[in-house]
Amino acid sequence: CKESFLNLNPVSNPTADNFKTRDDFELAVNAAYASLYLVYHPEGSVSYANEQMSDNAIVFNISGIQSDKWQFKDYSLATSNTMIYQFWQEYYKAIFNANIVLDKIEGASVDAGYKDGVKAQMMFLRGLYYFDMVQLWGDVPLVTTPLTGEESYGVLRSPQSAVYDQIKKDLIYAADKLPLASAITMPGRASKGAAQALLGKVYLTLGDKTSAATVLKEVYNSNQYSLLAGYADLWGPTVKNTKESVFEIQYLGGNASAPFSRYYQTFYPNNNFLGFYGGGMNQVTDDLYNEFEANDPRRDVSIALGYNNSGTFISQKYPIKWTDTKATQVGGNPLANNNFMVLRYADVLLMLSEANGDATYLNLVRTRAKLPKFGDAAYPTAKYATLDLAIEHERRTELAIEFHRWFDLKRTNRAIPVLTAKGKAITQTKLLWPIPQIVRTQNAAITQNAGY
Amino acid sequence: QTNTITGKITDETGKPLPGASILVKSAKTGTISNQDGVYSISAEKNAVLVISSISFDTQEVPVNNRSVIDVSMQASNKTLNEVVVVGYGTQSKRAITGAVASVGFNEFKDRSFSNVTQSLAGKIAGVNISQSQGAPGVSPIIRIRGVSSITAGTNPLFVVDGVPLENFNLNLINPQDIESVDVLKDASSAAIYGSRGASGVILVTTKLGKPGKTTISAGYEYGTQTVARKVPLMNAQQWIGYYIDAHNNAWVDLNPAVNKASDPNSARPSTYRIPEDFITNPQQFGNGTDWQDVMFRVAPSHNAQLSVSGGTEKTQFLFSLAYLDQQAVLDENYYKRLALRSNIKHKVSDKFSLGLNLGATTIFDRTEGTQGKSDVISLAQQSDPIFPVYNENGNLGYRDPNSVWNKYVAYNDLNLWHPYSLTRFYHKQNKSFNTLATAFADYYVTDDLKFRTSISGNLFNTRLNSYRVKNQGYGYSGLLPAEGNVQSSYMLNWLSENTLTYDKQFGDHSLNVLAGYSVQKQRDEFATVTSGSFPNDLVETLNAGVVTSGSSTATEWSMISYLARAQYNYQNKYFLTSTIRRDGSSRFGTDTRWGYFPSVSAGWLISDESFMKNATFINNLKLRASYGMAGNNQIPNYGAISLLGSSNYVSGATLASGLAIGNIANTNLKWERTTQLNIGLDLRMLSDRIGLSAEYYHSVTNDMLLNVPVPDISGFSTQLTNIGKMQNRGVELNLNTKNTTGKFLWTTDFNISFNRNKVLQLGPGNAPITYTDYVVAVKTEVGQPVSNFFGYVVDGVFKNQVAVDAAPHYSTTKPGDPIIRDVNGDGKITVDDRTTLGNNQPDFIAGITNNFSYKGFDFSFMLQGSYGGEIVNQNFRYLGFWNNGRNMYASVDNRWRSEADPGDGKHFRATLGLTGLQDQFHSLWVEDASFTRLKNIRVSYTLPTSLMSKTPFRVARVYVNAENVYLWSSYTNYDPENTTYGASNYSSGSNGLNASGNAPNGAFIGVDYGSYPLPRSVTVGLKLDF
Repeated sequence: CKESFLNLNPVSNPTADNFKTRDDFELAVNAAYASLYLVYHPEGSVSYANEQMSDNAIVFNISGIQSDKWQFKDYSLATSNTMIYQFWQEYYKAIFNANIVLDKIEGASVDAGYKDGVKAQMMFLRGLYYFDMVQLWGDVPLVTTPLTGEESYGVLRSPQSAVYDQIKKDLIYAADKLPLASAITMPGRASKGAAQALLGKVYLTLGDKTSAATVLKEVYNSNQYSLLAGYADLWGPTVKNTKESVFEIQYLGGNASAPFSRYYQTFYPNNNFLGFYGGGMNQVTDDLYNEFEANDPRRDVSIALGYNNSGTFISQKYPIKWTDTKATQVGGNPLANNNFMVLRYADVLLMLSEANGDATYLNLVRTRAKLPKFGDAAYPTAKYATLDLAIEHERRTELAIEFHRWFDLKRTNRAIPVLTAKGKAITQTKLLWPIPQIVRTQNAAITQNAGY
Repeated sequence: QTNTITGKITDETGKPLPGASILVKSAKTGTISNQDGVYSISAEKNAVLVISSISFDTQEVPVNNRSVIDVSMQASNKTLNEVVVVGYGTQSKRAITGAVASVGFNEFKDRSFSNVTQSLAGKIAGVNISQSQGAPGVSPIIRIRGVSSITAGTNPLFVVDGVPLENFNLNLINPQDIESVDVLKDASSAAIYGSRGASGVILVTTKLGKPGKTTISAGYEYGTQTVARKVPLMNAQQWIGYYIDAHNNAWVDLNPAVNKASDPNSARPSTYRIPEDFITNPQQFGNGTDWQDVMFRVAPSHNAQLSVSGGTEKTQFLFSLAYLDQQAVLDENYYKRLALRSNIKHKVSDKFSLGLNLGATTIFDRTEGTQGKSDVISLAQQSDPIFPVYNENGNLGYRDPNSVWNKYVAYNDLNLWHPYSLTRFYHKQNKSFNTLATAFADYYVTDDLKFRTSISGNLFNTRLNSYRVKNQGYGYSGLLPAEGNVQSSYMLNWLSENTLTYDKQFGDHSLNVLAGYSVQKQRDEFATVTSGSFPNDLVETLNAGVVTSGSSTATEWSMISYLARAQYNYQNKYFLTSTIRRDGSSRFGTDTRWGYFPSVSAGWLISDESFMKNATFINNLKLRASYGMAGNNQIPNYGAISLLGSSNYVSGATLASGLAIGNIANTNLKWERTTQLNIGLDLRMLSDRIGLSAEYYHSVTNDMLLNVPVPDISGFSTQLTNIGKMQNRGVELNLNTKNTTGKFLWTTDFNISFNRNKVLQLGPGNAPITYTDYVVAVKTEVGQPVSNFFGYVVDGVFKNQVAVDAAPHYSTTKPGDPIIRDVNGDGKITVDDRTTLGNNQPDFIAGITNNFSYKGFDFSFMLQGSYGGEIVNQNFRYLGFWNNGRNMYASVDNRWRSEADPGDGKHFRATLGLTGLQDQFHSLWVEDASFTRLKNIRVSYTLPTSLMSKTPFRVARVYVNAENVYLWSSYTNYDPENTTYGASNYSSGSNGLNASGNAPNGAFIGVDYGSYPLPRSVTVGLKLDF
């Protein structure tokens, strides 16, 4: 036999010597977008942080290793928490998938316009991920190129300011190069408006309301987006990429080997009354339920009161925005079709009010919900006296269980007063997650956050 | 002058010995004794006859003009002239210079195991064979001289009739067809198998007929298996008590100032509610159901064998057929095997002979309960005892909407996974078809030079059909729709081998040189299809439903090898062997795929020296030393290459195909290499009454194939790299004694082996490697054995608040929670207080077999043991504390209830929200794995020849064989040999990872997550020879 007898190429996997043609890059770009499935998974990092660690949701029974999942709602996160480590891995995997494209496309012979567009999309994703990470962990290692195993020992935590500088740089580039939403041919790809909306949120988080107002106003003026007529129109397995959607994660139900939507199953109570096991994640608190004004139609679109198990009604509130009752079931999983919006126009409007102190935009959202405007006599001014409080209230109800609450409270420095008042054992150091123990075991030079 | 000499060969008791070889020394003639031990041969009057037979001492008898020569042979199982299979040839025991153990058919002939290696457990020093799962057809985990790798596979290489097969399932070879099993333990013996020998080599040789009258052997065995040792679990009353306590405690904890244990359900949210029946009338549940009794049964087995063997000087053959029909102790599970074999060898001329060994095996089985965690056995243990086996409608469970039990669905912390919902309402059958064929031809180019060529093929197909009946009789935890699945796999392995052997005696010098070339390739394919939406349960094939998913994959590997061996001896007293193999494999990097594996070994038969002449009490004394290198190639087929994995996105309503990089490439990936020094001493003394064999070895594994952790910020968690070093050192002793001789024969075989495993070097900075799976953590660090169990130490249970306040404790700790040891003494309980809790590797293993024979009776018993290792009871996670209402160990009844009733100090207070690190991995999960097992008892009776002569039968033998007779162990679960995680296995498309996909399986050997008990089995058999 010749030596070539030993040259066996994988039969069922392609090998990594591609990244040459435009088609190769399309495959890699799609894979980078697919990272969104993990990060914005119903049991992903921002779900735990925004819903479990706020006053919105808790878990009773949840599949998997329960104690590590319970630690979020109790602020008793151990450095050994396996979920935190998993999230850390997912983010850096996602960032690698963006970085590898950015790295390889630099020398590739594809046309310049295509190259810029791909780079802008990858920077948008990278900016999105680092923005989450800096809010979750504070200082994080800033990786902007593919690293070898050896090189990665040399990259330590960068200060938050440096991480934010990179995020701004990425998003400004993205906003500059990305096309308007109406020019996007592949639904789900990042648009100029998505980059601007995210950049606006970054500015707000940094306290730079002026810059935030400028960039968010551009989104407002772009005429690319509008609120749908009714709140209920936003939800459902076939409602996709509407005029209100600014950045939306795409799912495809019905087939176990396609990326189906998991929010439906995961947010259902951890019991079996529909022929599948619910995940028990983000079971809604009475506190969130009661935050809705009595006649707010969004409440019953967002939250179910309980479920009927073989004739017995069991009272347990859970989110229902992503329900797909007709989903095909395979292996005990409903293969749902619902998309997930990371950024939507209502969020942009509320941010705009937050940035420029003008209730107009807030009131657009309230009008859609058929509720009295802020400033009107019928508005529950007694409870939400200031515009800031009104925005806080509106964001909580309008964007309920859409992974915003905890970051909103942190951004407005309201986490400690609001949650303490509700009997939660929150302290300043609990506002950041611990760096996973295993990360520090691997590289002792990585520091830990205070309080862990 | 030649004479015809006749005579009869008998054994020491006078029984005729068929098949003995009678050679005329220094002539090229020979014959074989017939069924009555009678032979006839022509020889010169002054010739010398050499008479030999396996398991007997070879004798040289001068003819001295006689024409009748009867010879009585001396039995000796381990004589120097016994032939041992060493790979690419055989060697006399006298000439063995490495560490090779040989077990002949006689030592396992009446054992009832379907896999021959199961019968070898406890028999061979240095070979740790443990039955991880007791289900029929599950192969044991075999570790030869410790564990030599962390992430690469650690299974030995199996060589069946010369065909090297990685991760071969020996259940595919009927043990009755096996002539001998030889184990190459040291690197110098294994070096002839080069890159695949580092974990040892197990050579299996199948039988061939002997010239003479055709023998027809028939056998039948009937057996029963039982679960001799159940796990003590709570009855309904104990469990209800716990349930109530847990809810009340959690309710009070929620707001101690306001909430009271006496608050009614109406005052509580659903999570804290207790079924009214539990409080008002718990007695109605009685003791409830013992789900172990429901799922386990006394299981019968039948085993029938028929073989025809015989031949002439020119042609020898063996045809055999065997059918095993074994019910499993687990409900509805079974194992049926039909094995056919045809071995033929024919001598075309003096120079040319050829042969074919063909084995075809079909297995139909249903094997469940071995996956732990969510498999039948584990789930039955977790099921609540309050539920009846059948409800009033004849259905299985409380999910039946028309049952009075249905009211309990309101409580989502009541659990029932009725065993029948998985065994009787989930139909499964696995079919496996294996063909292993080797065709060979030998050609003597000259008298001394032999050319051998062989072609082998192993074709293995499986098909697994399953159908889940709609709603599963309402017995499962939820009502699931009907679903059908079909999986099929295919494996073809072919091998072409060509060797030249030169064998020559020059006066006192004897030389045997082998050179060879071999090519091997394997392809594995796997396919799966799932259907749902079945209209009813009438048709279970997938066409009745709608196909919902499907996939197929394939992988390949190939190998080219060159090998050479030279064996030299002087005066049959000084022995020298040297081997080298060069392997090239598709699995490794392009520039590093070729590796050399050399070895050298020497032996000195001291007892043959003249200065030993006076030491007549010594029959034999031999010193051996060897040094060699063998490799390990057990990594995924494309381990060196960076693979792209499908990572699809969606755009609108269409799939947007994506490909993501799945691993870091390593084009320099090469073999893991183990070098081993072996020193051995063999001693036989007092007329062979005492035989002693001792071995010392020291092996170092270099360039370990380690999936070394890299910082996750690289986007990857691990990279497959050659890094790190590990050492195994050990001593093995084998002692055989003939305690009595004569009519009443009593022999004892004893072996004991000690192995010490130590990691010498790991990845960058020697960072320890910790893997976690379902809370259990194993840690590998330099200076320690592989995979230490790593967690908190529990020093009892806090009796009261004063005790809590007085000691370092975790923030949520309450009285009744565990006292966690402040290992680092910093006054706080943190993750840094985790420490080593034990290791599964035993300090030593031992086995002792006593054989007694008197007239036609044989009796033997065997004890086997393993001492000093630990086992993780991962089921503690389900059965040791509150886990959403699962049933628990009966011992949890001795829990802390109050300051006045603090329990046994090992069981925590009942609560729903586990406080004080109750549910972390800690020392109460880790138990002593030491055990002594009465492994085997056998009694057999051979009917006297005088009686048989009146029947058509030549030999008739009846026997009773009992396996797993009694276990002495303190372990909580079924068996301390149980491990739910097996050895890492990268064959047939398996990725070698644990179920969570985050760690190599082998790292968790010794972790029991609810395994299958090892049944006690008793068989009665009859064997007849015509």
